[in-house]
Amino acid sequence: MYRLLEFIKLIYVFVIFVVLEVAALWSYATSSPYTEAKILARTTAVGASISGAVTYTQNFFALPDENRALMERVAALSAEVQSLTMQQEGEVVEGMFAQDGDDSASHFRYHPAKVVSMTTNRQRNYLVLDRGAMDGISKDMGVVTAENALVGYVVSCSDHYSVVQPMLNVEFSTGGRLVDNGHVCVVWWSGDSMYEVDAKDLSVYSEPQEGMRVEVRSERLPDGVLLGTVKSYELNSAKSAYSAKITIAADMSRLDNLLIVENTHYHEIESLVQQAQ
Amino acid sequence: MTVVLLLLQIFVLDELSIALWIRPMLFPLIVMLLPMELRTIWVLLGSLGVGVVMDVALGGAGLYTATLLPLVVLRHWVMYITTGRSVEFGDQSSLLSRLPLRQLMIYATAMLGLHHTMFFLLETLSFISPLRLIATIVLSTLMSVVVAWPILRLFLSKIVVK
Repeated sequence: MYRLLEFIKLIYVFVIFVVLEVAALWSYATSSPYTEAKILARTTAVGASISGAVTYTQNFFALPDENRALMERVAALSAEVQSLTMQQEGEVVEGMFAQDGDDSASHFRYHPAKVVSMTTNRQRNYLVLDRGAMDGISKDMGVVTAENALVGYVVSCSDHYSVVQPMLNVEFSTGGRLVDNGHVCVVWWSGDSMYEVDAKDLSVYSEPQEGMRVEVRSERLPDGVLLGTVKSYELNSAKSAYSAKITIAADMSRLDNLLIVENTHYHEIESLVQQAQ
Repeated sequence: MTVVLLLLQIFVLDELSIALWIRPMLFPLIVMLLPMELRTIWVLLGSLGVGVVMDVALGGAGLYTATLLPLVVLRHWVMYITTGRSVEFGDQSSLLSRLPLRQLMIYATAMLGLHHTMFFLLETLSFISPLRLIATIVLSTLMSVVVAWPILRLFLSKIVVK
């Protein structure tokens, strides 16, 4: 109470000044239609700009939540698109619209995740995502951007985090497919450029062209995940296959919100393959 | 002196038509020349009185009061910025009386310029003719300073004699 009185004592002159000044300005502002229009227009403009700034600030601080909500929505839509595509291709799938956390049977589920840390300047780069085993993430799941471009594969998980081996890792390897003619290849990274990966074992009949789209061909991801576009190509020395440089579709230097793709049939496929071997 | 300045402003300066752009105003001197040691609340109330009288007499509808009150809050800062002096604890004589005429003129010019800027901005409420607005502010301030010169000399001689 004493401090409050001291505070009031400290500022009362200024408060009286503000009150008197506002009263004088109000009296002047309302003295004629001209001043009323001019001053009220100015104060309205100032009020609107302050209100705009406050709204902008509020929106800015709400962005993480909005991003999270948007990624949830992207995950749901990706699952829906995938299911619809499969339906269109005549595949019978139960539980077509399964989403994150849904136990119904669908080949692919999408889990939104955020990049915690990443490197791009090494030969063996890694990403850490904020989703782990507790969120249903496990090894060998694919990771894509919201635009459905490949980033990499999950290589290990803790309870709350997962580590992703991105395309920018010299140990990375995956299957690829030319969209135009369906010819497959092996995609890997030579470590030369963070914007390009390499393709090898591309059939001599594949007739690659610059700008051709290359999709991922892997049991870990659905069809339609873009890997990149052919930048250049050449026949190998034995003239038995093409090798190519592929411009990566995902901007690997600017990853933030990603989707982890789970193929619920993956372990079944894997065990079958092991039995066959 | 307050009454003289008020009457001078109302009956002489306000009737002068030196030029359309030149409108000298001396009544801010009343606020400026009140002792710096006087408690701010009394200066504020005094300025309110002067402002209300001017508004009633000249039909300012609050314009004179609104432009006079900020001078009360700003005058210590303006004094410090223009002369490097401030009221020290335990000062026995008036700060204004210890100022040489040159410093007093600088302080008065700054205060008059500040007042005239606020006054003409608020009166015009428009930037359609910025050059004319600036000319009005500058020329009126200069004219006010010229007219204030003998008054400030008189003021100094009076308080120094006291």
